Amino acid sequence: MDNSQKINLSPIKDMELRASRIPGVVSLAQGVPSFDTPETIKRAAIEAIEKGRVAKYSLAPGLLELREVITQKLELENKYYDFEEEVIVTAGSIEAITATMLAILSPGDEVLIPDPTYTSYQPAIKVAGGVPVFVPLNEQNHWSFDIVELEKRITPKTKALLFCNPNNPTGTIFTRDQLHAVAQLAIKHDFYILSDEVYKDFVFEDNGGSTSTGRSNLQRLYSLAEMRGIRDRLIYIFSFSKAYAMTGWRIAYLATHHDLAKKILGVHDALVTCAPVVSQYAALAALEMADEELAKYHAIYKDRRDLICQRLDKLGNIFEYQKPDSAYFVFPRIKDEVLKKMACVGDSKRFAIELLEKAKVATVPGAAFGPVGENHIRMCFGRSEEDINLAFDRMEKFFTK
Amino acid sequence: MKPFFKKFVQYYLKLLTKFVLWRHNPFIIAVAGTTNKTVVKEYILKFLREKYGENEVRGNPRSYNTEIGLPLAILFLDSGESSFWKWWRVLIQAKLKALFSRKFPSKLVLELGVEEKGDMKYLLDIVRPTWTVVTNIEGNFSDARSNLEDLFEEMKLLAQKLPKNGKFILNFDDERVKKLAEFSKAETISYGFSEEAEARVTNLKTTVQGQTFDFSFRNQNESVEIKKYGRHNVYAWMIAKIVKETI
Repeated sequence: MDNSQKINLSPIKDMELRASRIPGVVSLAQGVPSFDTPETIKRAAIEAIEKGRVAKYSLAPGLLELREVITQKLELENKYYDFEEEVIVTAGSIEAITATMLAILSPGDEVLIPDPTYTSYQPAIKVAGGVPVFVPLNEQNHWSFDIVELEKRITPKTKALLFCNPNNPTGTIFTRDQLHAVAQLAIKHDFYILSDEVYKDFVFEDNGGSTSTGRSNLQRLYSLAEMRGIRDRLIYIFSFSKAYAMTGWRIAYLATHHDLAKKILGVHDALVTCAPVVSQYAALAALEMADEELAKYHAIYKDRRDLICQRLDKLGNIFEYQKPDSAYFVFPRIKDEVLKKMACVGDSKRFAIELLEKAKVATVPGAAFGPVGENHIRMCFGRSEEDINLAFDRMEKFFTK
Repeated sequence: MKPFFKKFVQYYLKLLTKFVLWRHNPFIIAVAGTTNKTVVKEYILKFLREKYGENEVRGNPRSYNTEIGLPLAILFLDSGESSFWKWWRVLIQAKLKALFSRKFPSKLVLELGVEEKGDMKYLLDIVRPTWTVVTNIEGNFSDARSNLEDLFEEMKLLAQKLPKNGKFILNFDDERVKKLAEFSKAETISYGFSEEAEARVTNLKTTVQGQTFDFSFRNQNESVEIKKYGRHNVYAWMIAKIVKETI
C-alpha cells in the first residue's frame, strides 16, 4: 500500500462536506475567517497581474522583495533570519510542513505532536513516511505540555516535534517556560522543532511576549524563533491565510537556519517549483499595507471570543471549557451525562453528527485532533457574530428539548 | 485610489517636493538596487546619526521609495492608503510643510525603488542625489535576463546623473553593478568580498549570535561583530561605514 492510501480526508473537511448536504446549516466547523481579503491586498495582486509580473515562475524560495520584507517584519519580533538563504515562501503552511518533513525524515522516524493538535499534521508526517506520536496536553492546566510525559515519548527514532502555537483546536498558548523546557529537550535529544505560528497575530491575553512589534497595542506571542541558541534546529512557520483572510491564496513561509533551508528548498522545488506568484505579490502587500486590517480583525476576534464564551457559559450544563487566549477556536468538553444521552462516552463524532443533523450546527468532533480530544468538540469563532448567535440559539433550543 | 486622482496626487506631491528640496537644499544620499535598500538605509542612518545627531539626518519611513512614496518620505508624511479623504489631508499637510516648515534635516538618505523602465527618470526628476549607493541588480524570476538589462539601464541613468563632486558606492561582487562605474563622472568607491574592492570584508564567520568579519578600507582595518545573519547585513554595515568615514 502506498503512503497516500493510508491518508483519509481531514475530519474537518468531512464535517464541512456533510454540512453542505443539509440546507440551512450554520457552520462553526472549518477555521476560515469570515472576512474577505483586504482591498489593499486585492488591488496589489490585480496590479501585479496587469503589469505582467505573475505569469512566470518566481525564484524557488520566492520573490526577493517579499523575503526581504518578511525578514524585516520578523526583526520587529526579535527573530533574525537571512532573507537570501533562510526564508522560503511556500504554498500554504501545510506545504512548508510537508516539505520540511520530506527533507528531514527517513521512513519510520517519529514526530511528536501535541494531543490535541491540528488534524492535518498527521497526514503531513505520514506522507513523508514518518510516524506521528501523540504527546497528551494537560487540559486542567490550560492545555499545557506535560514535560515529563513529553520526554517519556522520546525515542532514538524521534526526529522532530511539530506543534502549533497558539494551539489549534484549543486556542491556548504555550508559555515561555514551557517552550524553553521543550527547547532544552530538543537540544538534549537532538531533534528538530517545527513551530507553526499561523495564529500569532490573534493573541488576546498576556503570555510573556514583549510588545515591541511596531503594533504595540497588540499583545505579542513569545516564540522559540527568538532563541538564537536553537536556530539550527528550529523551523518557524507562518501563514497569511488567517491573519489576512487569505486562505484561498495558499501562501505562507518558513524560516530556518541556512543549512536546513537548503535541504527543504530542494523538496519545495520538487513539490511546487515556487509558491503562486500572484499570491506572493498579495503577501507582499499584506505585510506592507495591511496593519490596520490586522488590528481590526484582532479586535473583532476578541469580541467574538468573549461572545462565544458568554454563550458557552449559558450552556454550562452541557459543556465545560478552557477560555481561549488566542486564535479563533474554543474546545469545550462535552459533559459525560450529555454524551451518554446523545451518543456514548468516547463518541464525539456521533455527538457532532447529531448536532449537525438535528440542530443544524456544524462543529468538528474532538477525536479528529487526537485521542485526548475525544469527548470534546471544536467551535470556530472566526465566523460572524450572527453565525455564532444563530448556532448557539439553535443549540440552546436543541439541548432544552 | 482612482487612476485620475492618483495622477493628480502624484503630480501635486512631486511639485511640492521639488519646492521643499529647492528651499532647504539638503545633502542627498540615494540607495538603489534590487534588494537590501532598506537595511542599507537603516545602517547609514544609524551611523550618520551617531556622527551628526538625530535631527540632522532623515530617511524614508518604512520603504516609501516609489513615485508617490518618495515625495511622502521627503515631506515626512504618511500614506493616505486607500482612503480618498486621508489623501486630501495628506495633500493639505504637504502644502503646509512645503511652504511653512522651518526645520529640515541637512542630510537625507533615500531609497530609490525602481521596478520598470522610466521609473528612475521620474525619481531623478524629483531628487538629485550627490552620493549614490547601488546594492545589486538581481532578478525575481527564473528567466529574468531581459528584466535585468532594463534595470541596468535604469541604474545607468542614475550613474550618468551623478555630479562630478559626488560619490558612487558600488558593489563589486555584482558584475552588473561593477560595470556602472564606467558611466559616471563621480568618484567610485567599490565595496564587497571581491579582491578588487577598495572597501573589503574577509574572514566572514557565522556564529550563534550573528556574524564576525574583518573590514579593511583605506589603511584602516577593523574586526567587527554584528548580531544579524546574512551577507546583506554585512554589505549594509560596510556601506554605512564607508559613508561615515568619507562624508
